[in-house]
Parts: sequence; structure tokens; C-alpha cells
Amino acid sequence: MSEDKGKEYKRRSAGQWAVAWRRFKRNKSGLAGSAFVGAFFILAFYGLFAAPYPGRSFACLYQGCANLPPFQNWAHPLGTETSGIDVWSEIAHGAAGDLYVGVAATLISVVIGLLVGAVAGYRGGIAASLLLGLTQVFFVLPILIIILLFAKIFLFLVAAGLGLNLIVFALAIFGWPVIAFIARGEILRIRELEFVQASRALGASNTRILFRHIVPNMLSPIIVIASLSVAGNILTEVIISFLGFGDATASTWGNLLFDGFQYVRSSWWVSFFPGIAVVLCVLGFNLLGDGLSDALNPRLRE
Amino acid sequence: MASLLSYVVRRILFAIPVFITVSVITFLITNAAGNPVDIVRLGLRNIQPSQLLYLQHYFHTDQPVYIRYFFWLSDLLQGNWGNSLYSGTVTSLVAPWIWTTLELQIPALLLSLAVGIPIGIYSAKHQYSKADATVTTTAIFGVSMPTFWLGVMLIILFSLNLHWLPSYGALSIEGYYIGGNIVIDGLAHLALPLFVLTFVSLAAIVRLTRANMLETLRQDFVLAARASGVSESRVTYRHALKNAITPVITVVGLSFGVALGGAPGLETTFSWPGLGYAFVLAAGKLDLPVIQAITMIITIMVLAANIITDLAYAYLDPRVRL
Repeated sequence: MSEDKGKEYKRRSAGQWAVAWRRFKRNKSGLAGSAFVGAFFILAFYGLFAAPYPGRSFACLYQGCANLPPFQNWAHPLGTETSGIDVWSEIAHGAAGDLYVGVAATLISVVIGLLVGAVAGYRGGIAASLLLGLTQVFFVLPILIIILLFAKIFLFLVAAGLGLNLIVFALAIFGWPVIAFIARGEILRIRELEFVQASRALGASNTRILFRHIVPNMLSPIIVIASLSVAGNILTEVIISFLGFGDATASTWGNLLFDGFQYVRSSWWVSFFPGIAVVLCVLGFNLLGDGLSDALNPRLRE
Repeated sequence: MASLLSYVVRRILFAIPVFITVSVITFLITNAAGNPVDIVRLGLRNIQPSQLLYLQHYFHTDQPVYIRYFFWLSDLLQGNWGNSLYSGTVTSLVAPWIWTTLELQIPALLLSLAVGIPIGIYSAKHQYSKADATVTTTAIFGVSMPTFWLGVMLIILFSLNLHWLPSYGALSIEGYYIGGNIVIDGLAHLALPLFVLTFVSLAAIVRLTRANMLETLRQDFVLAARASGVSESRVTYRHALKNAITPVITVVGLSFGVALGGAPGLETTFSWPGLGYAFVLAAGKLDLPVIQAITMIITIMVLAANIITDLAYAYLDPRVRL
């Protein structure tokens, strides 16, 4: 009898994340998105450890298999470039490069954005007004153009060994204000809620309120934005490299599309297949973001 | 009305600090890109010390950077944009580029609004139908696609294989017009880039209209209107649409900014002689005065679009004016 009582005491209602997961499992497009994202991570590992050719390898130029059309020689399923790069192998390498750029830039901007947003939202005052002003500037700044300039100016750092990290830094520097803006809004909303007031009345410290109550509750919009921001970062990387402002020695889809545009008259497949990879990968992160947003939105909860 | 007027004034005054910050960022970044005197010197043989002094004086490189910023800003505001480091004055170079860029951007914006809002409404009204599924799938592909890549695919199909449309520039050489007519020639050149840009902006507008419409249709006042016997089309167009459309209008300014920011990729693909393509070429040869001018012009355009949409928003939604 006493055992039963103990059990009953332990039973809890499903937590926030369990509910979200249950809702996400029922969302077909969200699941499709996570499947795409998962497939591209597998492709990236294939590129890193098992691809038939190393990144940006011109081997085919010497083996006489350059400029092959797709689906003819199964050693080169998606064809080869005039310069000898195997398209399938390079798409796999590009998956690793682009996922690295997308995820790393997003992580950096989320960390900076959360810190700045937390200070501005919780403290208010000058920090908040500065942040608001800065985000206003970032909303009208032609960010892609500024990033292109940035990449051009610091091109020497790419050669000095920074490589793809230069694009990561550029994307992070111009990506965090949006996240800080959202984080600040969430903090302003949450800190006025009753349960926060209640714990303040019980004498909880500022740090405890911030990390135990506010941060867990603001995570869901940040996760959604992060997923969409990975998609946006990959698209931006593709444009930067396509225009020839990136690291030309790195394996990315943008560089492959840059090559494809040089050979657009003779080899359509060099433009077609990497583009499909970009669309599916970005689509995956967008669907994942939409699915998460539906699953985590309490207003849509039945 | 007085509140609307004071809102207009406040909104325009608010744009000034934003403009100044953007100009500082642009100036600092282009200055980090290189010293204009060094770039000009690369192109000259046996430069005389007097010429060098003249160049230093002309570009104010003998002054500290914050003094140079004020020289630059006052020149910029007076419309004195200097010379390209290669040939021609910046003003005479930039003017036709602005025109060709707008010739592409404004029709694309209007077309995507005219087509996107009705599609979004239809899709929301018939949620989970086959048509809605097709629209939402197409739209999410549209927002996941690099704009320029769609352009490359259309060039491969319509220009290189079918030979229907030109893939290069905004006009043919005089005397070789397609159809023997400058208007037909211009439209033929405009067709592909316009389609690409419209499709991509359309996708964003359809998604937004649909989402807002769905949220509005769920609200209590719509239920109340239906309960009091108002016809369904009146509920949709008179009650719900007015509330759903205002956020769409605000995003128009934002999406115009995104489209202008994406101009380098799209215009380079079609060799479209606008600001974006000129920017890529100028950045390639570090033509600093041209780079600064293009960045500032695009910023001013985006700022203006934002102010106009904010004013439209204030006009449509009286709550904003307070």
C-alpha cells in the first residue's frame, strides 16, 4: 500500500519537451525535413571518410575521364567536370563543407545573440536601446553585399590558413543581431509571467531566475530560428562562392556551382546536381524549422 | 490625421541615425579594403612625386580616417561622388545601373504581390486540399532555392537548348534587335530574370499571406461574424483579409531589401547591367568609389522602401501611429 502511494507521488504529467516530441512525430513535413537533414549529415561523413576522390581532385584530367556526362560510367555516376573533378564525390565533400559553414556560423551567432539578448532584456537601459538601434541598422543593411566586401577584403586570411572559417565568421558577425533581438523579446515576455514573479517572491536570485526559469522557456523560438538560420547560412555561402568571393580551394557546393557556370555551355550536369543538393539540404532545414515551430508553439496545442 | 503626420515625421527622423551608422560601416569596410592611392599607383608607370602628392591630397589619405569620413560624407550628401579609379565619374556610371536594376526589381515586386496574395488567400481558405498542398510545396521549394541557380537552369533550358530567349544582358546591340524592335528585344531579355525573381519573392509572399490568413480566420471575431450570418465571401474579404494583409505589407519592404541584396547573384548570372553585377565587377578590381556608391545607393533604396511600407502600415492599421 505504501509502495503504491510512493509510485503515485512519482508520476508526473508529460513535460514540455515530451509533448513537443509527441507533436513533432505527427508532423509529416517536419519528419521529412529531419530525414533530409540526417541524409545530408550521412553524405557529409561519406565525403569525409569514404568518397572515391579527395576534395577538389583533378585526377580525372590525367586518367582521361574528364568531361563525362552523368549516368554513363558508374565510376562517375554524376559525370565529371572539364577540369577533371568528379561531381558525385565533390558533392559529398561539399556537404561536409556547407554543413560545417551553416552549423558553425549558426552556433556562434546563437551564443553571441543569447548573451547580448539576455543582458539587453534583463538589464534594459542603455544596452537595450543600443541593441534595438543596432538591429534596426542590420534590418536595412544590404547584408549580402557587406559580407561580399568583407570576404574580398580578408581574402588574404583565407590563403593564410583560415579557409572556410572566414565565411563562418562573416556569417556569424552579421547573423547574431537577429537572434539577440528575438532573445530580448522573449525575455521581456517571460520575466513578467506569474511563475517568474512567484519565484522572485520566494526569494530566488537573479541568476537562478535567468537560468532555471527564463532560459529553458525561451529555447523553443531560438531552436526554430537556429534551424532556419542554418538554411539561410548555407544559401549565403553558396552565393559567396558562386560569385568567386569564397575560398576557391575548399570543397563547397558554391565552388562547384562556380565551376558549373564556367562550363555551362558544355556540361549542364556540373550546375544541375550540386544545385539539387543545395535545394534539398536547405529545404530540409526549412521543413525542420517549420515542423519544430508547429510542435513547440503552445498556442497550437490541442 | 495629425497623429499620422507626426508619425511620418518621427519615422523619417528615425531613419537618420540608421543612415549614418550604415555610412560609417560602409566607409570603414571600404577603407579596410585598400588605399585608393596604392590602387591607382599600380596602374601608372614612373609616377612623379608631385603626382603622388596630388593623389594623396585628392583622396585625403594624408588625413586621419575620421577626417576622411567627414570629407566623404559631405561629398556624398552634395552629390559629388568623385571618379571611378578606372574610368568615368561615379555619377555617370551609376545612373544607368540604378535604372536597369529597378527595371527588374519593381515589376518583379508588383507581379509577386499581385499573384502571391490571391494564391495565399485561396490556399488558406482551402487548407489541406490538393491545391493547398501543391502551393505550399512549391512555395517552400521556392524559398529554399538559390535565386541564381534557378536562373542558370532556365538559361540551360531556354537559351542554350531551345534557343527561345537570350541569356545575356538587357538589350542586344543596336541593329540586331530581336524581332527588329527595341521593345520586343527588351522584353525578351527581361523574361528570364523577371521570372526567376518573381518566383522567389512570390514564394515568400504566398507563405506569409497563407499563415496570416489562417491565424486570422481562427480568431473570435471571424466566428462572431459567421455566427451572425455574414456570407462566407464577405467574412473572408471584408473581415479577415483586412487584418491579415497588414503584416504582409510590412514584409514587402523587407523582401524588397532581400531581393536587392540578392541582386549580385541574379544579375551576374544574366550579365544584367545593374547595380548588383556592377558591384561584383567593381569589387573584383577594388574600384573603391564605385563600391561605396553602390552600397550606399542600395542602402538608401532599402531604407526608402522600409519607410514607405511603415507609412502604409500606419495608414492601414491605426494602432501603429501611437
